[in-house]
Amino acid sequence: MKTTLFLAVAVIAQAAGNVCLSLGMRSLSTAPLFDFGSWTEVALAALSNPWLWSGAALLTLFTILFTLVLSWTDLSLAMPVVSVEIVINVALAGWLLGERVSSLHWAGTVMVAAGVAVVLGSSRDKPPPAALVLA
Amino acid sequence: MIPLTAVLIATMVVADSASDILVSRAMKQIGEVTNFRPRALASTFGRMACNPSLIAGIGAAAIHFFVFLALLSFVGLSYVFPATALVYVLATAGAQFILTEHVSRRRWAGVCMVCAGVAMVSMS
Repeated sequence: MKTTLFLAVAVIAQAAGNVCLSLGMRSLSTAPLFDFGSWTEVALAALSNPWLWSGAALLTLFTILFTLVLSWTDLSLAMPVVSVEIVINVALAGWLLGERVSSLHWAGTVMVAAGVAVVLGSSRDKPPPAALVLA
Repeated sequence: MIPLTAVLIATMVVADSASDILVSRAMKQIGEVTNFRPRALASTFGRMACNPSLIAGIGAAAIHFFVFLALLSFVGLSYVFPATALVYVLATAGAQFILTEHVSRRRWAGVCMVCAGVAMVSMS
């Protein structure tokens, strides 16, 4: 239950953080990023951008929660589960940001979701008895 | 001769997987976090800051980040990103053989599906 709660909040924070960063970077995109002379201007604009600050805070929250979860959960369980963030991001990109999502993109998203379900289903798989391992 | 791009992609995938494995090992050494009061959490963060595995894990994450940036300077994101799906397989192998976690066949199947899905999303 604790693992589910922590990973759920972590995944939501990561997905929301990525959307915030995307919105923040879009609002900066009027400046030519590869014009080195404008980097100071871009950096100052970034520092005063609330979307970028929100995105950084949410991704920091994700990192802290994921690290804490690893203190009691297997990496092989937690790592694939947080990839469900891709599903949320694709949905948010399509519906919230109005981005066009291709059918291959959706197919990949469904594959990730199915894979996460299989990994979650394996959380109660028991290791084989020692006698069988040695045999 | 192996092209520079392949070497950098391999470095990026290995560094990312190593980061996950090292951080996981560090957190198992520190022990399960059960007290979430600010003072107890501050004490946990203090122990984390002194843990060599965690410091190495952060170093590996930094290598991953800078190699990723270096790759993006001469290769497109659509070329680099599908390769990141390999991290799931490599980190799971590390979890099984280095952290000695029990990874059942069902979990391996799920990890491979996630890996394939991430590659599909990246290529679309």
